[in-house]
Amino acid sequence: MTLAPPKSPAESAAATKLINRLREIVGEDGLLYRTEELLVYECDGYTVEKKVPDVVVFPTSTDQVVAIVKLCNELDVPFIPRGAGTSLAGGTLPIGGGVMITLTRMKQIIEVNLRDRYAVCEPGLVNLHLTNHLKETGYHYAPDPSSQGACTIGGNVATNSGGPHTLKYGVTVNHVLGVEAVMPDGSIAQFGGPCEDSHGYDLTGLFVGSEGTFGICTKVWVRLTRNPESYRTLLGVFETVAAATQAISAIIGAGIVPAALEMMDQGIIGALEAAFHFGFPLDAGAVLLIEVDGLEVAVEDEAVRIEDLCLQHGAREVRRARSAKERLLLWKCRKQAFGAIGRLSPSYCTQDGVVPRTKLPEILEFITDCGKRHGLRIVNVFHAGDGNIHPILLFDERDAEQVQRVLLASDEILTKCLDLGGSVTGEHGIGVEKISFMNKLFAPADLAVMKQLRDVFNPDNRCSPGKMLPTAGGCGTESHPHKSHPGRRAAL
Amino acid sequence: MPNSDSAFHPSTQDELAQFVATNAASERRPLISIGGGTSAPKCSAENGIEVCLDQLNRVIDFPARDMTITVEAGVRIADLTQILKAENQRLPIDIPQANQATLGGVIASNWSGPRRYGCGTMRDYVIGISAIDATGRQFKAGGRVVKNVAGYDLCKLLVGSHGTLAIITQVTLKLRPCLETSSLVWMAFDSLKQIDAAIARVLNGATRPIAIEVLNPIATRAVRPLAAAASLPILCVGFEGATKETQWQAETLINECCPFEPRSVETLSGSDADPLWAALTDFPIKNSSRTFKVNRLPSQTIELMQRATDLGISAKGHAGNGIIWGHYPSGSSSTFLLEGTSEPRLWEELGSSGDWMRRVKQQLDPQNLLKPGCLPIG
Repeated sequence: MTLAPPKSPAESAAATKLINRLREIVGEDGLLYRTEELLVYECDGYTVEKKVPDVVVFPTSTDQVVAIVKLCNELDVPFIPRGAGTSLAGGTLPIGGGVMITLTRMKQIIEVNLRDRYAVCEPGLVNLHLTNHLKETGYHYAPDPSSQGACTIGGNVATNSGGPHTLKYGVTVNHVLGVEAVMPDGSIAQFGGPCEDSHGYDLTGLFVGSEGTFGICTKVWVRLTRNPESYRTLLGVFETVAAATQAISAIIGAGIVPAALEMMDQGIIGALEAAFHFGFPLDAGAVLLIEVDGLEVAVEDEAVRIEDLCLQHGAREVRRARSAKERLLLWKCRKQAFGAIGRLSPSYCTQDGVVPRTKLPEILEFITDCGKRHGLRIVNVFHAGDGNIHPILLFDERDAEQVQRVLLASDEILTKCLDLGGSVTGEHGIGVEKISFMNKLFAPADLAVMKQLRDVFNPDNRCSPGKMLPTAGGCGTESHPHKSHPGRRAAL
Repeated sequence: MPNSDSAFHPSTQDELAQFVATNAASERRPLISIGGGTSAPKCSAENGIEVCLDQLNRVIDFPARDMTITVEAGVRIADLTQILKAENQRLPIDIPQANQATLGGVIASNWSGPRRYGCGTMRDYVIGISAIDATGRQFKAGGRVVKNVAGYDLCKLLVGSHGTLAIITQVTLKLRPCLETSSLVWMAFDSLKQIDAAIARVLNGATRPIAIEVLNPIATRAVRPLAAAASLPILCVGFEGATKETQWQAETLINECCPFEPRSVETLSGSDADPLWAALTDFPIKNSSRTFKVNRLPSQTIELMQRATDLGISAKGHAGNGIIWGHYPSGSSSTFLLEGTSEPRLWEELGSSGDWMRRVKQQLDPQNLLKPGCLPIG
């Protein structure tokens, strides 16, 4: 629970002026500013750091976003876009307060063009709603973050979201043809569009994954993908995590690119079984959820090869989803794994490191040791085919000492990912959580070029301040997490 | 025009950085980076120096089990292909003159070919990049893992930037496994209109093509001079995968296209298909006369190709992508131009994004040293 500190009379007057002017743009029902209403917006899926915005606005059109951004510039107030707030890295934490521009009322599907394989939608559209809308057409929107039932397309664009099926189909940027954005200066820009290979620089590709620091996405042209004719969904049951990772290497090494290749360890299997009663083997060290898709004429052979490879590498058994219903249940278990964690502990923090696939055994062993060293329980459910780990650190956020241990363990795990030639984030983004790692990942010259680019689009750094790039003054060189995390208010 | 004899051939990335830094601090001559010189747009910078990256061709790291490779930008595509093939892997982008073209050049020009319908383009494969800016500063972005959202995605910015923002020196690629076989179904129709109808059927049919190519009769003569129905427009559809899979798809496709009455149908598989894949890939460079590339919605491909045909212009389309390549007949005047095929010459022609592109260029290369005047950007 964080309450805003008392305001001085001058601050109160400024806040009243801001709210009154915003009311003129979006009306009273497009506005939240009472302390208790703002609490919902104090954090996103990353609950370790909290900060309430001064006001939350809900625009319903690009023109309203323009007016809001221009007002923020006039009054010198920071602003930040937000979708559903499912970020796991504090991407929507309003550092420095200011105006939170929540885009969930801009959720129209503007156009669907199957002949040309694209759809145009507003940023607040929920990812899964697009695919549901396309249900009878034989097409879908490929990026499928586990939070797809809640997260928005605009948020996906900002973080360049992934998901289980990105192993074969690619991440968000591979499926975005163009964006319309309200730029930090209040102008409207369109990068790309429905046609491929637009002239000039690929600013669409640059904008995707810029975590709200280049502007506020107000419209997206997305590529639509044909549904596969057939699926084979397998569950490989292994005695140990090590054996499962060997099987992953063998499958990829054999030249098979499954649509998805996910691992769940014993800790998460227990929670999932308690929640969904799927019939997961509670004594297994790890299970692999493997899906191949494509033409019926081809998938069966691939599935058989995968079964053989799993058995050769120590699988106790390989089960198959026997019906479409069973397949969907398996995926429901996987995608709602994080939801099942409530059974294990009051709070959790997940990391998003990436290692070269062949380094998975090493990093998983390190995570186990790290948990022991810090006296923390860590469970794993992740995108094994991409080498994208998601260790879930379980804790109680009311215990400051535990929180401290979680942060230290997280830092150690991510540092190890870098040592193994990987990255600190595969799909969740830098946000505020991992900003202290930017100096470890990139040299000063790399960051200088990135800052130059931010200066092109967001010279006053009023749009999503404190995100992605470490601020000058050595942020990130701090060895203590509580010093390097600018927005941290909770627990520490 | 730069004199090719005076081209600078750095043998290390550091040497290149030093050279660029010295130039920026002293003479400030325009720098024209080239790879194999196969696709670089015409550059007419006064007093420019060519910087040729052909000596920067080392393999830095090839962890084959991770299906990534890190190489210097000057590596020839043919050499890269051989290195990857030894591990049964590939970069599934079709590139003409592979013996000559370099990876850096292909990335800078964002080259692509028939397989782009199924396999995507360079932006989908470049996961890490190192480059040198106009002041000689070396910088990088991305990394060596296949999934990574740390930092701004400068890989995307540099793909297709034609060396106007920085000189690409090193690249990490995501790779794909080689597939068992490929096949091409070559179908001649009486009219482009029939092909349009056939494509609409194929797009919603049972198969999953990797390439959908349309050739007007003039282009057909260039691509397959000996083919029987060389005076007819062609729909050519490509598949890849297991033998059983490609055979089934070729047969299914032909059945689906029957109602549109193709005049002739021919299926080429495995090594028999290779020369045709190569000819389709080489089409854009097959003619020394003025070449154009236009982008449309996929559904508008045939309409544009029909107009080209009416004007006697050779044209081939990636019909699934809306990309059309064509050649004007030699000696044709500018009044002969097919509407909408001229490259934009000014930032303003690029709409609201053009202004931002200009600002990006000014920010990263304020002295305009990197390929000044190079069209379509810079």
